[in-house]
Amino acid sequence: MNKIINDIRETARQLLAEGKVDVVIGYEKGSLPLKATPCFVHSSEGVDSLIWDETCENNLATYVAKTPGKKAIVAKGCDSRALAVLLQENQIVRDDLYIIGVSCHGVIDQRKIGAEVGEILEASISDGKISVKGMEGDKEYLFTEVKDATCQTCRYPNPVMEDLHIGDTIEVSQEAAAFADVEALESKSDSERQEYFKEQMSKCIRCYACRNACPLCYCQECFVDCNSPRWLTGGVNRAENLLFQAGRVMHLAGRCVDCGACSRACPQGVDIRALNRKMTKDVYVMYNHESGISEEGKPALNEYSANDPEQFLVKE
Amino acid sequence: MSQNKIGSVLIVGAGIAGIQAALDLAESGYLVHLVEESSAIGGTMPMLDKTFPTNDCSMCILSPKLVECGRHLNVRTYTNSQVVKTEGEAGNFKVTIKQKARYIDLEKCTGCGACAEACPVKVDDEFNQGLGKRKAAFKQYSQAFPNAYGIDEKNCLYQTRGKAKGKDICLKCVKACQAGAIDHQMEDKEFEVEVGSMILNPGFKIFDASRLDYYGYGKIKSVITSLEFERLLSASGPFDGHLVRPFDQKEPQKIAWIQCVGSRNAKINNNYCSGVCCMYAIKEAVIAKEHSHIPVDTTIFYMDMRTPGKDFEKYYNNAKNNQGVNFIRSRVYEVTEAKDDSGDACIRYSTEDGKICEDQFDLVVLSVGLEPGDSSKELAQMLDLKVNKFGFAELEPLSGVNTSKAGVFAAGAFSGPRDIPETVMQASAAAGAASALLSDERGTLVSEKEYPPELDVVGDVIRTGVFICHCGVNIGGVVDVPSVVEYAKTLPTVAYATDKIYACSQDAQASIKALISEQKLNRIVVSSCSPRTHEPLFQETLKEAGLNAHLFDMANIRDQCSWVHMHEPEKATEKAKDLTKLAIVRASMQQPVQPIFMSMNHTALVIGGGVAGMTSAVSLADQGYEVHLVEKDNALGGVARRFSTGFRGEDMKAFVAGLIDQVSNHPNIKLHVGVGIKDVGGFLGNFTTTLENGEQLAHGVALLTIGGQEYKPKEYLYGQDDRVMTQIEMDEAIYNHDPKVDNAKNFVFIQCVGSRSDENPYCSRTCCTKSVKLALKVKKKNPGANVFVLYRDMRTYGYYEEDYEEARRIGIIFVRYSENAKPVLSKEADTLVVTVTDHVLDRPIEIEADLVCLAAAIKAPADGKKLSKWFKIPLNAEGFFLEAHMKLRPVDFSTDGVFMAGIAHSPKNMEEVVAQAKAAAGRAGVALSQDQVESAGLNAFVNKRKCTACGTCEAVCSAKAVTVDMVNRVAVVNDALCKGCGACASSCRCGAISLRGCTNEQIVEMLNSL
Amino acid sequence: MGEIQVETENKKYEPKIAAFLCNWCSYAGADLAGVGRIQYPATIRTIRVPCSGRINPLYVLKAMANGADGVLVSGCHPGDCHYISGNYVARRKFALIKSLLNHVGLEEDRISFSWVSAAEGGRFAEVVKGVTERVSALGPNNGIFKVVDGGAADE
Repeated sequence: MNKIINDIRETARQLLAEGKVDVVIGYEKGSLPLKATPCFVHSSEGVDSLIWDETCENNLATYVAKTPGKKAIVAKGCDSRALAVLLQENQIVRDDLYIIGVSCHGVIDQRKIGAEVGEILEASISDGKISVKGMEGDKEYLFTEVKDATCQTCRYPNPVMEDLHIGDTIEVSQEAAAFADVEALESKSDSERQEYFKEQMSKCIRCYACRNACPLCYCQECFVDCNSPRWLTGGVNRAENLLFQAGRVMHLAGRCVDCGACSRACPQGVDIRALNRKMTKDVYVMYNHESGISEEGKPALNEYSANDPEQFLVKE
Repeated sequence: MSQNKIGSVLIVGAGIAGIQAALDLAESGYLVHLVEESSAIGGTMPMLDKTFPTNDCSMCILSPKLVECGRHLNVRTYTNSQVVKTEGEAGNFKVTIKQKARYIDLEKCTGCGACAEACPVKVDDEFNQGLGKRKAAFKQYSQAFPNAYGIDEKNCLYQTRGKAKGKDICLKCVKACQAGAIDHQMEDKEFEVEVGSMILNPGFKIFDASRLDYYGYGKIKSVITSLEFERLLSASGPFDGHLVRPFDQKEPQKIAWIQCVGSRNAKINNNYCSGVCCMYAIKEAVIAKEHSHIPVDTTIFYMDMRTPGKDFEKYYNNAKNNQGVNFIRSRVYEVTEAKDDSGDACIRYSTEDGKICEDQFDLVVLSVGLEPGDSSKELAQMLDLKVNKFGFAELEPLSGVNTSKAGVFAAGAFSGPRDIPETVMQASAAAGAASALLSDERGTLVSEKEYPPELDVVGDVIRTGVFICHCGVNIGGVVDVPSVVEYAKTLPTVAYATDKIYACSQDAQASIKALISEQKLNRIVVSSCSPRTHEPLFQETLKEAGLNAHLFDMANIRDQCSWVHMHEPEKATEKAKDLTKLAIVRASMQQPVQPIFMSMNHTALVIGGGVAGMTSAVSLADQGYEVHLVEKDNALGGVARRFSTGFRGEDMKAFVAGLIDQVSNHPNIKLHVGVGIKDVGGFLGNFTTTLENGEQLAHGVALLTIGGQEYKPKEYLYGQDDRVMTQIEMDEAIYNHDPKVDNAKNFVFIQCVGSRSDENPYCSRTCCTKSVKLALKVKKKNPGANVFVLYRDMRTYGYYEEDYEEARRIGIIFVRYSENAKPVLSKEADTLVVTVTDHVLDRPIEIEADLVCLAAAIKAPADGKKLSKWFKIPLNAEGFFLEAHMKLRPVDFSTDGVFMAGIAHSPKNMEEVVAQAKAAAGRAGVALSQDQVESAGLNAFVNKRKCTACGTCEAVCSAKAVTVDMVNRVAVVNDALCKGCGACASSCRCGAISLRGCTNEQIVEMLNSL
Repeated sequence: MGEIQVETENKKYEPKIAAFLCNWCSYAGADLAGVGRIQYPATIRTIRVPCSGRINPLYVLKAMANGADGVLVSGCHPGDCHYISGNYVARRKFALIKSLLNHVGLEEDRISFSWVSAAEGGRFAEVVKGVTERVSALGPNNGIFKVVDGGAADE
């Protein structure tokens, strides 16, 4: 038994037994291989289903506001950042929350594996190696080979706030954020980018899985569902899809914690992060702002500075 | 004083001071007669390009006030007019006004400009300082109120050549005017008004630089005045804001400013500092650099850089350190024309160390000072007011606004050079003073318009009436108006559409009113000119017809269509159709909007019982309002208790005692002394403040006058040797005949202790004058004493320049030191030795001092932060209160109903504190005079179902009008505070908050119909 | 713009540009251009808003999705805002939406932002001229926001 999992279970057991929380939100083994699912443990009997590994890909902050009562949450860096934004935005109450912090080395990009072995039938992880049995063949991977793109650029593997830390912390180089992925797209021509996004937008079926997976999409009514005014005409086509995706990214401007949940949730493999990452970069470069890195911060669009850059203005 | 008081006020001069005073008084229930010599209101401000220290566009910030003043039901504006006779006494004056013929009927003129276009006479345009031309039929400037033309009889061909002989010479304007507004037979008229008080603000004139021939003004083309330079910079100026030399249109690359032209000059009896020129020169240098697309080298030649106002020092530092403006401390000998035929000018000057230099510039700008205007002198003479030797009105000591005649108040440059915020402050103070004088008559002469009951149209089928205006030929000459009418008829909701020759004319208004009832129209669209000027007029018509004023929209098919697409009639017609369609869409989705009323508590709370607080309290109490005055110390008076004399020799002890007596015995003032504040809640009209003793005070407005603190020097052995003292301590020592002062022979004053430093990057404004005053006191008492003043720039602005001059004359020695070579004070045995590097001699000198006086900085109050939190008001970087607008709202906070005065706003002298305190009381009085708190109603509103309580709206609202109710988890708009900007609505992701009159639904539908 | 326009050979393409102008500065600046009879192309369709702070980034998206050839947004210069900070609040949104849309391949010149004061009539005309020229050079809005068959699934 992994010590981290053990500690998570023990902590959960204690919190529930002492009545400090009504529920512990964590991960359990999912029905599909390499995919843990969120679980809600209400009594000490259930704690043994809690797990922690590289398959714990959901952002659990998504469930916190919707879960009544006092709750404990198993949080990696990105979950804790989302929690910070939710706190900044009055969506949750700190006193109702017990954060069990876990440092995260990254989660697995199943899509990458699936692309090579077909539907994943069985898989096991040990010592940083992932053995996969797929419809179209078997393969063994080093974890670093299939680490989710989000996690490769992650600067906050350790929770930014927590009540208890389990396991070791991960050392992070203090370098500025890197956006090689965004820059790669930026360096292409307008028409190349347009082609790329046309293709991406054509794939979108507007199932809103991205929105549902996002810890920060918590509007009572999303603008796309609004009848008055009707921002979207109702059709599902490339242009309308872009209106949705671009609108959503604008709504996440200066708030997105770059957890990658949207992209991972997308059944169509739309590169949603390409939009979010661009926004994250712009906010970082223009306003030196990173979302949810402290409880006290503010979303970037809630504040301004008299010296904000103005390169976007016309030349006249 | 008259027993028969009259509830109206005469205001002479319609510059920013007159406009502000007029609005304050008219809003508080007095009828205002506003007399203006020229053909439009506005004064000097419209001529300026930007204003320091915020670089705000002057016209942008002024024009809403012009419109408001021009339209106010209780402001009667008389342009081309002068006061020719006054009689009576305070409370009841009879004033005779002479109005010169305009030759254009204000009622009929639509401001279309056809007359000016037709007029063949071109003359120098005074508004552009003669740098451009205007016609004999003209409007001073495009945003002018009244928005009407006038005919200059001195230049009009008919008036000068035809009229007397009965010949129909020219008269082209008459033919051009389709509104029939031109009346060349109009005559001057004289009439009488009765008023209870007068406020005089006739402004100033700029110094005539040709009087000093060594500057070459009028002889050398490249030498211009600073006001001419403003017009060169202005986008509405003669060169559309392109920075060029007026005579050869060359873009200047090297520009010089020469300071103190006509100021600080005893030889021509202008021995005062005009106070504004240093800042405007820096501003012009900075803006010139910004404006020009080629690099511009800018140099300012000056004696002392005087930037003592709020945030001025930072502006100066920024210009010097970041913008690359050169500053040369120098004496300019002369300006000559360059010998190389370039048209340039050469400046010969000596630097501080006596070196003579010469340099050539493309353009030389003379920073001309301010002088009393000719009409100011006439006015003072007519009213027999005391004036000083320079011809400016002399105010009663420590009164801020009182002239020598009871009931007659002054504002602006009438009593001396002043910048815009000081002028506005004084205007509000004068309005407050007039209001206090006439408080029994408040509301007796003002009128309110009555309207028929409003028709209930909610739920009715939408029937839009559309009126397309020809504006004579202004629109009709380009746009095919009938086809726009036909097009409009095809659009959804349109029940009626027609055209009008002039939609704004009386008969058109009557016809619209009739059609509303005949055709059962419940939405109205007018396609004509700008809603900025005409929307209120049409809305008035709607109200008269019983329709809610907001069931309306305008399409601007003149200013933004026919006038700018004159050669593309087809495209202009297409655009006019589209704009009309957009207006129809918006109007059809418009719902009635009712103004929102909230109760008004007519009591004021004044926090801080120093001179500012007591002055405000007395002024408000005299205006008839109950006042709670809270002072946390055990005694009233604040820091002024420690002062012996004021800057004009006033007995401060007596003054403070007098104020304490007044507040203690005023029936309207309740004192709370020795008790602090625990908590504050509420908003304009309904504040509740809890005192530390638990007492709760309900009030409608709050005035924060909590003063400041004296900097406790860490430098110059302060606190280690009792011969080193601050200015206040020295004042006390002199007053108490302290032997340390009485027996001293060598006095050293060190300026800028704790000011103009990294820690406090501002000037404390009063210390230069204070040191000069103290130095004069000791020198006069003991002429054998050696008195030294060690300074960086002597900032004896205004009339204090005379004291500075006197001090030098009687042998007080002024030694300048520079920022990076500060004086050193050391103690050798028991002797204090000051070492300072003299810039003229360029070597260190040592002075044995018996007494060292430190000009310690004035710092922001310690309690500012607490009040900032309680009242939701901002502080600047140094902790002083931040006003709503640096220029035009100098005593208002951005939070409605909260006002400021005194040192807590920024360092200032006692006279200025009093003026500001009266201004704050004046502004607070305007708010208190309202029966209810009224808001137009075009406010933000919340859809509770959609709101997630995320607080984004609260974060972006500058009016602090939106808060999140965490109990019900919903954002709440305070209608009393909402200004209707819509920043919340565009920031709300959930679409929960929207703006009346500009909803997402409307905008999206407009976009859909494009 | 829903109507399909038949383009004739000779007819020069004229873009339609949705212009959002704040009431206090840019709309006043546009009025001033009129007073000065400063000519500029008849391409803009103005929507007057109280403040540039009122302009929701979704309006820009919606205008483009509706087929406008360009969008012009103009407000008071920083510091001049009638409502103190509306344009500061807006400025971040503007910078971000512009950058984002350019990233997805919308031509940079389709969307223009400017600050025009009430005194800058000439400059307003210059801005409209410049914007019109650049949008005209791009041709009709047939890019990422346009689906050729106008509806259903995709082209």
